[in-house]
Amino acid sequence: MEQAALVNLWFAMTLYMVATVLYVYHFVAKRPVFAWYATFATGAGFLTHTASIGLHWGATQEVPITGAFNSLSLTAWALILIYFVVEHLVKLKLYGTVLVPVAFVAMAIAQISLGSTGAELTADALEQLDSWRVAIHVAMIMTANAGFAVAAAASAVYLVQGAQLKKHKTSALMKRLPSLTQTQQLARRAIMLAYPVYTAGMLLGIIRAIEFGLPAWWFDPRVMLSGVVWGIFGSYLFLHYKSGASGKLLARIALVGLVAVVVLAVIARTVPTGFHIFGL
Amino acid sequence: MHLTLVGLSHKTAPVEIREKLTFPAHRQEEALSLLMATPDVAEAVILSTCNRTEIYAVTAAGADGSAAVIDFLADYHDLDRHELVRYLYFSEGEAVVRHLFRVVASLDSMVIGEAQILGQVKEAYEHAFGTESVGRVFNRLFRQSFEVGKRVRTETDIGENAVSISYAAVELAKKVFDSLDGRTILILGAGKMSELTAKHLVCNGVKSVLVANRTYERAEELAGRFSGEAIRYDELFERMREADIVISSTAATHHVITKEQVAPTMRGRKGNPLFLIDIAVPRDIDPDVNELDDVFLYDIDDLNGVVESNLEERMREARRAEEIIAEEMVAFERWIESMEVVPTVAAIRAKAEQVRMAELEKALKRLGGLSEKELKTVEALTSSIVNKMLHGPTARLKMVAGEKDGYDYIEAARFLYGLDTNPEGKPAHQGLIKTLLGKAERAAGRAADKSAQNEMGDTLGC
Repeated sequence: MEQAALVNLWFAMTLYMVATVLYVYHFVAKRPVFAWYATFATGAGFLTHTASIGLHWGATQEVPITGAFNSLSLTAWALILIYFVVEHLVKLKLYGTVLVPVAFVAMAIAQISLGSTGAELTADALEQLDSWRVAIHVAMIMTANAGFAVAAAASAVYLVQGAQLKKHKTSALMKRLPSLTQTQQLARRAIMLAYPVYTAGMLLGIIRAIEFGLPAWWFDPRVMLSGVVWGIFGSYLFLHYKSGASGKLLARIALVGLVAVVVLAVIARTVPTGFHIFGL
Repeated sequence: MHLTLVGLSHKTAPVEIREKLTFPAHRQEEALSLLMATPDVAEAVILSTCNRTEIYAVTAAGADGSAAVIDFLADYHDLDRHELVRYLYFSEGEAVVRHLFRVVASLDSMVIGEAQILGQVKEAYEHAFGTESVGRVFNRLFRQSFEVGKRVRTETDIGENAVSISYAAVELAKKVFDSLDGRTILILGAGKMSELTAKHLVCNGVKSVLVANRTYERAEELAGRFSGEAIRYDELFERMREADIVISSTAATHHVITKEQVAPTMRGRKGNPLFLIDIAVPRDIDPDVNELDDVFLYDIDDLNGVVESNLEERMREARRAEEIIAEEMVAFERWIESMEVVPTVAAIRAKAEQVRMAELEKALKRLGGLSEKELKTVEALTSSIVNKMLHGPTARLKMVAGEKDGYDYIEAARFLYGLDTNPEGKPAHQGLIKTLLGKAERAAGRAADKSAQNEMGDTLGC
């Protein structure tokens, strides 16, 4: 079963790669048929990926949430899932050009650099993870991170399109990119959905930490960075709804938020301090 | 059978001539009936738009199709024939196919890429279809031309980019707001240009129109045309908070909208952009306004720049459209070849010969040990039977091929002999294509000056 999970994972990665090429080609050449193929390849990749996660889970009898490999793989999975929701809502294939390559790169790093196994954990760590709250905590944080990534992608598109319009450029890029209000709305909705999920995920993690009686759990670098991420996206919503900040400022905040998420996910892992280390 | 085109367009005739040669929809039935009554015309379609009048016809082999159509045009509109031909262009054969495909693809339009022409050609075809003026050739040709039009519009961006100032403004507004549904525009100044731009915006879904003018009565007048609201000039910046798009076109000689005045109106908009269109010369809006976040200002030069860039884009797309047309012409030529009499006869003979040889082989096996003389006799016997059986049908087929319903006979023959595909070994693009598409004539130098490339001219000696 483990072997089948691995094969499925390679297939998923290959399909994401194919989808990436097709999305980019569609964006450049504006051929709708290629967008359809790209969506098909992404969908097939997603199903294969899901099967791989399920098979891996079945083979190891452990929820695949530990270690950098699983984190990246689940992030890629959540990103594709969110992308499909976005594509369904805004009927735009453009975001596939941005998000599917990110998922592919995450998968490639996970597969090539980290191997497909979970982390070797101490008995203490295994005890900490032995709770339904932890599984839901991880799922929620991953989903919220995917939502933040979508918001950041839309914000990046907003800034590029805004700059084109400000400079009165009528380039092919300007014509391909969606309108400002659409990208702004997508970013706002993604954050509005992801933020409560992130908050709930954090709360579950805090409850588990308190329940397990971890001393100074809040001093863990990942917990603190999570607070920073929470604060950044919270300020986005506050600035939008309460102070009517400009679209440009909000887009920049969303991008800073994503940077914080990446720092939290990648760099914080390389600092082997705190309790929140479940395998590098 | 020949394909013939006679027409005039904005490229060859001024409007005072074009308006004399129109065929309004309600008179097309009558006109087509008259045209079809001409002995040399087998099929006909009349395309009549504000920029062109064209008559497409399938005419009998050997007849001067162009002359027949010109006579009809002159008689129908009661015009002097010699005067008329000065404005006409003529095409025959393959050039007609290319011309029609280019027309449908809007490559021959006044504004390349405009969308109306496809619908107009469809309408013309429907009129002809309704009056039974189209047959096998035009049914195929026009239906394929619609495919060409569709392909060009879907596979290229030829119709994507606005090529007028007012449409460019709409296009840009859509890049800011996506949809204009429910948006509010504020018109400053009651000039014609701002009215036209506002009209396009309203047609694209803008819901509310606010009009401000130094003279309140003029503001009311313009607002009335859009079921909008006239506002006092001193309320301008207060009401600007409600607007998504501002169109300014006053006769002021100084900036009437400055950065300092717009900045307060942007507060509390929750990041909603403001799109300002300044079509006044001298400009009404201080260019520094563009420096404000969420504000996008375009003046007349910026809009002209957009139009020029879009025109260049359309020209690039037109080259891609020409490639599609070339592909479709090959497809049409293949079809027309399959309707050709010479290869059809050859195919019938080849098939009969195949059957003869197979049957002869079987018979010789059964007979066995025939002398050379007997063998030659049997061979000659079978050949003679086949030739005599085929002589009548093939000779009649050749005879009727050039007549009005020639294609029906050829198609029937192909069906009866089971020749659904081109016979093996038949060289591409020969035979009928040379006659129907006029290559033979061009080769003989008879119609060298009648091609689509030389559409303009008085080739009938006028």
